[in-house]
Amino acid sequence: MLRFEQVTKIYSGQRVVDCLDLEVKKGEFLVLIGPSGCGKTTTLKMINRLIEPSEGKIYMNGTDISRLDPVQLRRQIGYVIQQVGLFPNMTIQQNVDVVLRLLKRPLQERQERVRELLAMVGMDPALYAERYPNELSGGQQQRIGVLRALAADPPLILMDEPFGALDPITRESLQDEFKRLQEKLHKTIVFVTHDMDEALKLADRIVLMKDGRIVQAGPPEELLRHPANDFVAFFFGKKRKENEIYLETVDEVMNPAPVTIRPEQGVAEGVELMRRRHVDSLFVVDKEERFLGQVTIESLNREHLRAHQIIELLDTNVPTVLAGSKAETAFRIMTEQRLKYVPVVDTEGRLVGLVTRTSMVNALASVVWGDGISA
Amino acid sequence: MKPLLILALEHLYLATAGVFLATLVGVPLGILLTHYRRLAPVVFSLTEMVQTVPSLGLLALLLFVFGLGNKTLIAGLLIYSLLPIVRNTYTGIRSIRPELIEAGKGMGMTRLQLLTQVELPIALPVVLGGIRVALITAIGISTIGVVIGTGGLGQPIWRGIQMENQGMIIQGAATAAALAILAEILLTALEQRITPRGLRKRKAT
Ligand SMILES: Nc1ncnc2c1ncn2[C@@H]1O[C@H](COP(=O)(O)OP(=O)(O)O)[C@@H](O)[C@H]1O
Ligand SMILES: [Mg+2]
Repeated sequence: MLRFEQVTKIYSGQRVVDCLDLEVKKGEFLVLIGPSGCGKTTTLKMINRLIEPSEGKIYMNGTDISRLDPVQLRRQIGYVIQQVGLFPNMTIQQNVDVVLRLLKRPLQERQERVRELLAMVGMDPALYAERYPNELSGGQQQRIGVLRALAADPPLILMDEPFGALDPITRESLQDEFKRLQEKLHKTIVFVTHDMDEALKLADRIVLMKDGRIVQAGPPEELLRHPANDFVAFFFGKKRKENEIYLETVDEVMNPAPVTIRPEQGVAEGVELMRRRHVDSLFVVDKEERFLGQVTIESLNREHLRAHQIIELLDTNVPTVLAGSKAETAFRIMTEQRLKYVPVVDTEGRLVGLVTRTSMVNALASVVWGDGISA
Repeated sequence: MKPLLILALEHLYLATAGVFLATLVGVPLGILLTHYRRLAPVVFSLTEMVQTVPSLGLLALLLFVFGLGNKTLIAGLLIYSLLPIVRNTYTGIRSIRPELIEAGKGMGMTRLQLLTQVELPIALPVVLGGIRVALITAIGISTIGVVIGTGGLGQPIWRGIQMENQGMIIQGAATAAALAILAEILLTALEQRITPRGLRKRKAT
């Protein structure tokens, strides 16, 4: 499908891509990875001729691409960039069908195609086709960026850190979605990333680059098991260890004695309890110690004249974790929802502890510096 | 002397004619400069220099070429309007996020398609801003056209000065000011109208 022969790119005397030989097979998901500045983007952009090589040749299906008209070439190659680059003056419909418009396809066909594509990523066409990019979330925008590249059904797609600017959760869901999509579409994909997890997750074959050269190329398994040298081992080894980080269960990191109160107790008692124990929230439990919710100092301050009993100020909408679950789960809930703590309940719904920011810091510290510090 | 309304229309005609011609020259020139960036500073300092020439002096010079009358004034206005229009066209296009240009190219747009589908639509409000500034300046400058024999609102002002008739001066000046304000309001509204919906600042919800 794609073949690099001794491709070199020189910028002011520096060989940023150096005698690159590389073959990409049809239907292959190839991931280019390596430290920042190693020449990944340059390599990618030479394929759609946004950058011309200084030396060497690139062949697509046997044809030397330097003999093709760059404009025609690019219309046959999908292109997704990290900064998304949706045209702000165009609707989603117009953004997605831009290549089809350049190819002068009729309106009806374009509309149908956009509907089909939007549906493929679970975005309701009726809702989104006529919106503008600034009316979409970051994750939705990059979905559109991917659809734009798919619209004309090009056999080859280039992607330059397409999910790099997204938050971790959105990134993961887009990776999964794209992987599913690829399993259906069987495109040939050249994908640039510096995220090892992403490479391991998506790649059929990984090409690890350094200083413009290929250090090792092969299926993920092979690079993990038989690293060609220390650089590869280091690049992957670091990651492997990270994946094996051992985090305790919530039971080990939680504070086992949160300050509790009963729903029928008085508001004044609650205020007094907070003052004595230096806390800004109380956890409300019934006679059987079952967790009902919380009251915060804000609601007490606001409502103490109106309310008499704690139950009137009860906030039941509090995320909890189950005893025995991984500490990571609790930490993730706290980071994602910006919470200061997560109550831990057992299977009977009884409050057994509280994971706080402090427990999180201690647990992470014990991972970094070894055990013995954990709370 | 002609009625005030006629003078005002004459005045508006002169100012718009100058700015219109400047737009015809300035927008393509601004676009061209985005492709020959090294020329941009040269062109800008040249047009800036021209702008520092007092309008009366410039008109006097142009008098040699075009003679008395509207042509000279319109030529002068053209020259004056060039700077804001060229500069806004240039900066409007230059300030487009580079990834949009890259995306456009990467999708397989030709240079012309990139210009008409991406660069110009996005830069349009800024370009129009330059035209607005030029037009308001031109409405002001047009009042001195009277000394080289043009019509417009310079006439009552000039006449008023000669006859020491303050009322007349104020009439002319106030009408010119009203024209400028009207132009400002109309073009600002137009700017907002033509800003693609996706580029408008969203109201906080
Ligand atoms: N237009 C350019 N002019 C000069 N140097 C460049 C240019 N583009 C990239 N480089 C240099 O080439 C090297 C490789 O860049 P790039 O391919 O973008 O790296 P990567 O995508 O792997 O981070 C970098 O050292 C970068 O500074
Ligand atoms: Mg890069």
